[in-house]
Amino acid sequence: MKLRTAKYIVKEGFVNTYRNILMSFASIVVVGASLLVFGVFWAIMANINYNTRIFTEQPEMEVFCNPELDDAQITTIEWLIMSDDRISEYTIISKEEALERAKEMLGDDKSVLEGFEGEDILPVSFIIKLDNPGNSKDVVDKLSVFPGVDNVRYSQETIDLISKLVRWIRAGSGMLILMLLVISIVIIANTIKLTVFSRRKEINIMKFIGATDWFIRLPFIVEGVIIGLVGALISFGVINLIYTEVSGRIINSVYFLKVLEGKEIYSDLILSISLIGVLVGALGSTVSIRKHLRV
Amino acid sequence: MVEFRKVSKKYANGTLALNKIDLHINKGEFAFVVGPSGSGKSTLVKLVLKEENPTEGEVYVNGYDISSLKRREVPYLRRSIGIVFQDFRLLPNKTVYENVEFAMQITESLPKEIRRQVPMSLGLVGLSKKADAYPNQLSGGEQQRVALARALVNNPSLLIADEPTGNLDPETSWEIMKLMTEINYRGTTVIVATHEKSIVNSMKKRVIAIDKGQIIRDEEKGQYENEVKNSQIYS
Ligand SMILES: Nc1ncnc2c1ncn2[C@@H]1O[C@H](COP(=O)(O)OP(=O)(O)OP(=O)(O)O)[C@@H](O)[C@H]1O
Ligand SMILES: [Mg+2]
Repeated sequence: MKLRTAKYIVKEGFVNTYRNILMSFASIVVVGASLLVFGVFWAIMANINYNTRIFTEQPEMEVFCNPELDDAQITTIEWLIMSDDRISEYTIISKEEALERAKEMLGDDKSVLEGFEGEDILPVSFIIKLDNPGNSKDVVDKLSVFPGVDNVRYSQETIDLISKLVRWIRAGSGMLILMLLVISIVIIANTIKLTVFSRRKEINIMKFIGATDWFIRLPFIVEGVIIGLVGALISFGVINLIYTEVSGRIINSVYFLKVLEGKEIYSDLILSISLIGVLVGALGSTVSIRKHLRV
Repeated sequence: MVEFRKVSKKYANGTLALNKIDLHINKGEFAFVVGPSGSGKSTLVKLVLKEENPTEGEVYVNGYDISSLKRREVPYLRRSIGIVFQDFRLLPNKTVYENVEFAMQITESLPKEIRRQVPMSLGLVGLSKKADAYPNQLSGGEQQRVALARALVNNPSLLIADEPTGNLDPETSWEIMKLMTEINYRGTTVIVATHEKSIVNSMKKRVIAIDKGQIIRDEEKGQYENEVKNSQIYS
C-alpha cells in the first residue's frame, strides 16, 4: 500500500466518524459504558486481590496470656514474640483495651460490664502477624506451650476457608469479566453494524468501481478504532473520578480494608482498556462489514 | 473485448435468465442491448462485471476469463470497465469532484494525475462548474453525467451502462446518449442496455435484441424492433 493511500484511509476513517457524528457518538457511549463496567470490575478485583493477598500472606493470630500474670511475665512473653523472626509485626492489647473492645462488641448490652473496670477479668493479649502462612502451625505450637500463655487463637480451617474463598472470588470475577468482554464485543459489533448498514450503498458502489476489499474495510476499521479508543479514554476518565471518590470513602470508614492508590492500578488499567477498545472496535468493524463485501 | 460462449445463467430460484448466449463485441464498437422487461439484459451486464457467475459457458472481458477469476482479482477487472447504472450510484457524502476523484484514489493514481484527469473528465461531461456541489444538489441528468465522468476518469477500454437513461426525461436522455457516442468516438467500447426505442432507432448502431434469455436478433445499424414486426403493427 502506498503512503498516500494509507493517509487517505486514515483521513477517511476520521471524516466518516465525524460525518456520522450521531452514530459515532452512540457507539462511543456504548463502548465507554461497557469499558466502564469492565474498569470498575478491574479496580474492584485489583483491590480484592490486594486485600486477600495481605490477608493470606499475613494471617493474624491472637495470643492470650494468663489473666494472673504480672507485668514482668508479660514482658517476657512480649520479648519472645519480638525475637521470633517469623512474626512480622505484633500489637499488644492491654486489659483496658480488651475491655473497650469487649464493650464495643457488646454494643447496647455493654452495661453488663459496668463495675468491672480495673478488675482482672480480661487477659492481656498480643495480635501477631506472620510473614508466611506456612509457618503458622509451628508458631502456634511454640507459643502455646510457653508458660503464662493461656491459648493461641488460630485455626488452620479459617485459613483454608479464606484461601478457598479467594480462589472462588478470583475464578468468579474472571468469568464475569470474560462475560462482560463478550457482551461488549457483541454490543459494539452491533453498533458498528448499524453504521455499516446505513452505508451499505456506499460499500456497494465502491465494490463496483473496483475498490479492493481492504480499501473498503480499512476506513471502517479506523472508524471502529477511533470509537473504541475515545470510548476507552472517556471511560477511563470516569473510572478515575469514581475511584478517587470511592477509595477515599472506604479508607476513611472501613478500617480493616486496605485500598490501592489510584496510580497503582491506572497504568495497567488504561493500557488494557485502550487495548480492548481498539481490538473490539477493529473486530466489530471487520465482523460487521464482512457480509457487505460479497458483491 | 467482450465474448460470451454458450453462456447460460440459471438463478438459484430456478429462473433461466440467459439461455446459451453467443456474443462477440469488438474493440471500439457501440452496441445496444434491447429486449422486453425480464428478458435478461441486466443479467448479461452482471455477468460482464462478475456480479453473477455463469452457470454454463464462458465469458471473456478485456482479456479476463470471468469464470476462473479469483475473488481478489475482481476489483482489477472492474477497474478496466467504466460502469453506469440507472440509479447513478454516486457517493452522497462526497462532492462531484470527490466522487470522480474517488475512482482514481482506488487505483492509487498519482496526485498529479488525479489533478489532471478529474477536471478533464468533468469538462468532458460539461460539469466543471458543479465540481463542489453534492449529488443531492444536482438534477438527475447532471448526476448521471457525474457517474459518466467517474466511469471514464481511469480511461477504461469498455464502458457498460444498464438503462443509463431510465430515470431521465427524453431530452436529458438524448444528452447522455450523445455523450456516450462521443466517448465511443474517442475509442472506448460502449455497451448500453436500454428501453429507449426512439433513441435506439435514430442512432443506427449495432442492436442486440434478446428475449426470454436468447438473442433473437443482432444487427449492425439496427432498430429497436424487428422491421417486419413494425410493418405488421403499422399496416
Ligand atoms: N437475483 C435474481 N434471482 C432470481 N431471479 C432473478 C434475479 N435477477 C433476475 N432474475 C430473473 O431473471 C430474469 C431476467 O432478469 P433481468 O434483470 O436480467 O431482466 P432485464 O432484461 O434486465 O429486465 P428489465 O428490463 O426489467 O430491467 C427475470 O425473469 C428475473 O426475474
Ligand atoms: Mg434490467
